[in-house]
Amino acid sequence: MLGFAKSNQTKAEFEKLAAPHFDGLYGAAIRLTRNERDAEDLVQDAVMRAYRFFEKFERGTNFKAWLFTILTNTFINSYRRNVKARSLGEESERQSVEAQFFSSAATEKAQNPEQYLIDRSMSADVLKAIDSLPIDFRMVVILADVQEFSYREIAEIVDVPVGTVMSRLFRGRKQLQKMLTESPEVRETAPIDLNAWRERKKLA
Amino acid sequence: MNCLDVATLQMPYLDGELLVDESTGVEEHLSTCEACSKTMAAERNVRNQLKSQLKTAVPQMPEAMRQRVLGAIHGEQTSKQRRRFVGISAAAAGVALIAFAGHARYKNYQRTLYLEDAVSRHAKQYPLEIQRPSAAQLEAWFGGKLDHRVLVPQFPNTTTQGARLLNVRDKQAAYIRYDRPPDQRPAQLGLFVYGDKPGDVDVGELQAPDVEASNGYNVVSWRDGDVVYQLVSDLDEHDVRQLLPSQATKGPLEPQQPTLKSPVLQASPASFQR
Repeated sequence: MLGFAKSNQTKAEFEKLAAPHFDGLYGAAIRLTRNERDAEDLVQDAVMRAYRFFEKFERGTNFKAWLFTILTNTFINSYRRNVKARSLGEESERQSVEAQFFSSAATEKAQNPEQYLIDRSMSADVLKAIDSLPIDFRMVVILADVQEFSYREIAEIVDVPVGTVMSRLFRGRKQLQKMLTESPEVRETAPIDLNAWRERKKLA
Repeated sequence: MNCLDVATLQMPYLDGELLVDESTGVEEHLSTCEACSKTMAAERNVRNQLKSQLKTAVPQMPEAMRQRVLGAIHGEQTSKQRRRFVGISAAAAGVALIAFAGHARYKNYQRTLYLEDAVSRHAKQYPLEIQRPSAAQLEAWFGGKLDHRVLVPQFPNTTTQGARLLNVRDKQAAYIRYDRPPDQRPAQLGLFVYGDKPGDVDVGELQAPDVEASNGYNVVSWRDGDVVYQLVSDLDEHDVRQLLPSQATKGPLEPQQPTLKSPVLQASPASFQR
């Protein structure tokens, strides 16, 4: 039964690598799906998928980035479609998120006790702000500012060019700042193109 | 580097994404330009606040959920092992029969693990989340909480005491506890209902259920499509079988067999019958 020993070893290795990232995966999942139950399903699916494809993971490369790539792909492939189908569209979704925060605490609790418990323990404003960002912006902001991934890593995770990561990050952060500081004076400059700037400098 | 360059590079500079000479260039400019230096400091301040607020807004995974995720990896491992085990046996022996026997034994072992877990969870008497519901209330209560539909069977001479969600190993299960009305001999039953698409728990249909003893309980297990039912009880085997629909007594055992605390080992697993 060589197969048994090998499998146990693989499982132990996977668990050792993956377990430290569960909090991060869950944190990202809950801000992507915006509810606890879908977040758990998403993490569960992503972790199982990672485990099944663990043989394909190149040892020594960035495991965390690999896990988050699987998480975002899983989300895009299934959950996002479901979430869209469930709501009537981005606008009504946003309104319902806002309504949730403005409704009385009692109604809120009755509607969704689990959600209420999580939300109460943190700043409702931040949640409202991040959850109302368009999904593409929300994803890069979470990856950059919560998970501290580099531009390059994010580009690989969400499979877009680095320039796109930067512009989404720029816009996403500006929107957040606007909502959170409530000051209309946040400078709305154009997102920068680092490559273009470097090209210009080379020519100069 | 001029003011425009520094403004352009603000975001990647604060994110630590610039090349060394680029960020040195930015810093040189900042040290000589008060306006840019102020702007950068303000931006850095806003950024840090935003980051720390975002980080506190992201919750940690609840411990129970962590256990479920880990449990699912364990469950997955077993199905992987099973495939590998079957593969090795078949290739090495080249005899389908040996593979079948090994596979059957493995399945048998798997079933025992699920059975023992159900028994120990029933024995621990976890608090119920819904008390004295009607069957309709109960089905409504489980609706949407699980991936499979929960049909709540009624057993003769029992009443539904309550229910909750309770895992059986890696499977999320509905758990329904029944007791007997006060005028009857006291008995308690716990029914687990869980989805098992991969077929990890090898049990027969309701017409030929498996009755097995574990830790002083008798457990009846049957399957309806992808859903497994496991009824844990402190009744003896005869009484347990009496609870089931009449065709169930036409199972592998004679219904009148003496049943005093006998572990029902002779109840052959369904896999051998097919």
